[in-house]
Amino acid sequence: MDGSVIGFYVLAAVTVLASLGVIGQRNPMYSVMLLIVSFGGLSGLYVLLDAPFSAVTQIIIYAGAIMVLFLFVVMLLNASKEEVARTVALGPGGMRMAAVLSVLLGIEMLWALSRVPSSWFAQDPSATAISDVRQIGIRLFKTATEPGEQWGHVFAFEATSILILVAMVGAVVIARKERSS
Amino acid sequence: MTFSPELAAHLGLIFVIFNMLVLSAAFMVWLERKVCAYIQDRVGPNRVGFEGALQPFADVIKLLLKEPLRPKAADAVLFTLAPIISTAAAFAAFSVVPFGTSTTLFGLLDEPGIPLHVTDVNVAVLVVFAIASMGVYGIVLAGWSSNSKYALLGALRSSAQMISYELSYGMALAAVILMASSLSLREIVLQQQGYWLGFIPKWYVFPQFLGFLIFMTAGVAETNRAPFDFPEAEQELVAGYHTEYSSMGFAMFFLAEYVNMVTVSAVATSMYLGGWLGPFLPDWLAWIWFLVKVFAILFFYVWMRWTLPRLRYDQLMEFGWKWLLPASVLNLIFTAALVLWMQ
Repeated sequence: MDGSVIGFYVLAAVTVLASLGVIGQRNPMYSVMLLIVSFGGLSGLYVLLDAPFSAVTQIIIYAGAIMVLFLFVVMLLNASKEEVARTVALGPGGMRMAAVLSVLLGIEMLWALSRVPSSWFAQDPSATAISDVRQIGIRLFKTATEPGEQWGHVFAFEATSILILVAMVGAVVIARKERSS
Repeated sequence: MTFSPELAAHLGLIFVIFNMLVLSAAFMVWLERKVCAYIQDRVGPNRVGFEGALQPFADVIKLLLKEPLRPKAADAVLFTLAPIISTAAAFAAFSVVPFGTSTTLFGLLDEPGIPLHVTDVNVAVLVVFAIASMGVYGIVLAGWSSNSKYALLGALRSSAQMISYELSYGMALAAVILMASSLSLREIVLQQQGYWLGFIPKWYVFPQFLGFLIFMTAGVAETNRAPFDFPEAEQELVAGYHTEYSSMGFAMFFLAEYVNMVTVSAVATSMYLGGWLGPFLPDWLAWIWFLVKVFAILFFYVWMRWTLPRLRYDQLMEFGWKWLLPASVLNLIFTAALVLWMQ
């Protein structure tokens, strides 16, 4: 077996098991840590797909920045153990509905997966992956100077950054204490 | 992958680098105590070995033989895991730092031999940054899992500090990346070859002097050292996040701290001081320049620690957010404009 295939199975197993662990046990602190492990596994998969830039940004943004905030919240709330919910919030009708919906979702996913042509798997990942950061930059920020030329994703990028800025200002406004005048 | 002399040499190199990091941490402990002693007009350790040079090893043996204590109320799994995360993150960051050209081990290997680094990824700078951001977890978990108020407060301070200063750290590095137009540390070092006016080396420290200052300041905060050593402010927090640790757990936090210092210095050397580049020495001895530069920065760190008093916590936060971050953003914008204008 190829080394990268073994790597794939190991990393995939780590990712899936850690994700199951996140929802499977009641200590929120462990959930946070397992989620980080799962992100680490994902980032390893990106490395195998010859996309180191995605792998590193996955670690910096998700594991490094967002999860630290999660950890802070869990730590400061000092929720050592989740309470076991004795009474089910949904009634028996709701439970039936949920069961039907989850079965439907399962069928849907199987159907979608069965439609994936096998040629997708035969592709060499390195042929399609963009490992060079420069190329990623060009794809994102390319501006067309001549008519008919393909634009990059500048507009989507700028729109997203303005959206994030608005959200940030909003968060500051909400978090700020009312000054008594 | 088949077994080849190159592979064996590479594995040997990894082994050497790992042990060099451990030894440099031991050396730093000794240097710190010696320099501190001289600054305070004392002698410092002078019993074990020449001028106390074996003192760190004696300390390690002592720590190994101590009983590892764990508070009853502590979270056993995370309490054990925290020092491991800290140490692993500290060591992992060094894997992308190049410290010399390639070697053929005196002709044992075919040309061009093996390059002197563990791995050269094309996003090396980002890898250093990513691993540095993982180091926070070791400290936060140590503080939380100890279930002690001093440890928790120390961990909270430490993570708030590391998150605040990581921004300026990254912004300062981004300016160098703009100038070098590469994310590979080896590439960035090679960009600094040559001289201006025949004698000023083309190191990025000259065009990026403000960036260098920002990087060094943020680096001190990142490694939790004086004058930014709030996580372990003895007078207020006993020993901060590692208050409850004894024996090897404590030693591992100590090791992580010193290895982090070495890594920050090595990154500063590669990004701003031309890495292994330098006059007089032949190519295969170029790594000596690297060691000299890293040592100079480390000495500066120690010197600073025993010279400057600790700031107040609100001063630290104010300095980070209101001065250092705006300065690094301005530096980045100015550099970007300059690079565009030069094109």
